[in-house]
Amino acid sequence: MTSAEQQMVEHIVRLIRKPAISIDENTALVSSGLIDSMELVDLLLKLEDITNLRIPAGKVQPKDMDTVVKMFATAQRVGKARKS
Amino acid sequence: MNQFGNLINALETAPAERPFITYWVDEDEQTTITFGEFRAKARAHADVLRVQGVMAGDRVVVIMPQGILAMTAFVGAMMLGAVPAFLAYPNFKIEPTKYSSGLRGVTANLRARLVVIDEQFPDEILGHIALADDTTLLRIGDVQPRVVAAFQPREIAGGTLAFIQHSAGTTGLQKGVALTHDAVLRQIGYVSEALKIDAERDCVYSWLPLYHDMGLIACFMLPMVCHLHVVMQSPLDWVMYPGSMLEIVSKYRCTLVWQPNFAFQFIPRRTPENRRQGCDLSSLRALINCSEPVRTASMEEFERAFSPSGLRPGGVQSSYAMAENVFAATQSDVYDSSGPRRIWADGREFRSRHRIVPVAECQGALSFTSSGRLLPNHEIRIVSESNVELHDGEVGEILLKSDCLFQGYYNRPDLTADGFVDGWYRTGDLGFLLEGELYVVGRRKDLLIVGGENLYPQDIEEIVAGHPAIHDGRAVALGIYDHSLGTEEIVLVAEVERKELIADREQLERDIRGRVVAGLGVAVKRIFLKPPKWIVKSTAGKPARTASREKLLQEHPELCNET
Repeated sequence: MTSAEQQMVEHIVRLIRKPAISIDENTALVSSGLIDSMELVDLLLKLEDITNLRIPAGKVQPKDMDTVVKMFATAQRVGKARKS
Repeated sequence: MNQFGNLINALETAPAERPFITYWVDEDEQTTITFGEFRAKARAHADVLRVQGVMAGDRVVVIMPQGILAMTAFVGAMMLGAVPAFLAYPNFKIEPTKYSSGLRGVTANLRARLVVIDEQFPDEILGHIALADDTTLLRIGDVQPRVVAAFQPREIAGGTLAFIQHSAGTTGLQKGVALTHDAVLRQIGYVSEALKIDAERDCVYSWLPLYHDMGLIACFMLPMVCHLHVVMQSPLDWVMYPGSMLEIVSKYRCTLVWQPNFAFQFIPRRTPENRRQGCDLSSLRALINCSEPVRTASMEEFERAFSPSGLRPGGVQSSYAMAENVFAATQSDVYDSSGPRRIWADGREFRSRHRIVPVAECQGALSFTSSGRLLPNHEIRIVSESNVELHDGEVGEILLKSDCLFQGYYNRPDLTADGFVDGWYRTGDLGFLLEGELYVVGRRKDLLIVGGENLYPQDIEEIVAGHPAIHDGRAVALGIYDHSLGTEEIVLVAEVERKELIADREQLERDIRGRVVAGLGVAVKRIFLKPPKWIVKSTAGKPARTASREKLLQEHPELCNET
């Protein structure tokens, strides 16, 4: 796991507040119902923060956010550098 | 707007060089299109659709991301005399199964000649679009206007259907409201007169989805007909950065904004201090709260938060609107610097005798904000359960009659028949008239009737959500019928902020009961404290009462046995 992925996993653990469930970079989050739509907004903001990219929300589908690995792949695919 | 024969005529007369739409992607990227450029692109799209065999009267479903391309495709269909409808585009916030099921139902009902999607539409959802034998699925991208310079829109009679808009939210879009050019033009005429719209001065800001009446009528059709500049962004980008509204209004000096009640709380709560600095909202003439019952506390929260940013007194306004009436039925007086009228009423009289007795602000009194006066050629009746007309200050169902009212739900005569009584449209909303102004208090189906007293779940939920141990906005009040008592009892479900707080259940329940009694003078029968994330939420992130009720009854079948 990269340090960026590790950072995201730690954020998700804090967000979902379910200590009994272990999360890694390949854990299904959306399809398993672990996170809901408003939390996805929070995760996208965190992803922008970690990658320092602007991620157009309209180009992201639920499947793109299903695992931490997919989130970072999505950021690379649709994210753009911030000018300001 | 009587000078225009149809909506396309209105677009055709707009000055070519005037900016029409600025699409805000983010602080680094914006695109502006003039009326002339918009017309050319819409004609180009009309030609693309014509080649696909689209003819007058055909339904054209547009499922594209919010933006200029979706808008030119929609107007292109109208130029052919076809009847377009926007449907929500799949996105990361909509649960895929729910989205697919809603999409299937709506596309089947519309029996479209053409379904237009963009080049990035997810393949896995394609199978959920219901296609009839003669329906074509078309992926479109940007078009080059010069190719079809010769295309001329066909003549369209004002009495023919202009488009279909849907009356519900992003999913379960079952009721297509069919609207004529004449009805839409009349509505825009009334709204523009009430707001004293001036194309030289006014500029609209919108984050609203185009498949919603506020987004489609107030923030697309109205600017198109009145030749206004509209600055828009995607609802998804807004929900991530609601404070972007402040930046956009400041930069473009926007004067008119419409948004639902929840946004008046969401924006101040989600906008950090550093994003407020340097923002100037002094250009706003009217920030109009509509499409949900107007809550005094929400409007006051917004005013308190943004008065330091130049929001002028009376800048926050209100309206009562619904897709079935094209859009608005009432509008508050935008020239009254005190804003919409706010009254205090005796809580006990309101609940037990369903009437308004104005009182001074005090413990137990309830506050209501007016949605304003009726637009011209609009009539409202407030009626009791037995359809008897009620007097001023008496609370009942709002019935509406106007010359903007829809003809019926598309392909759903069953729903249409249920929607009317003696030629009046049954809105399903509860409210009262007072000195010529309408006050909307809630939805009829959400009302709790406890011992003959009418209770509005949002009043209870607001009190409970104010408790520091309860997660903000995560409380649902329900009425569960008790056969032995012959009345409903109040049952409350609330999420605690942290799971460990449940350990102190008894004290917490006592506190909550005490607060509800102090605020509303009623007792809650049962309180269910649940861990974080228990309450079922809508796609807008708000508690879904019906789904949460079903979940509670499943977990606690004894509630069914008790009743």
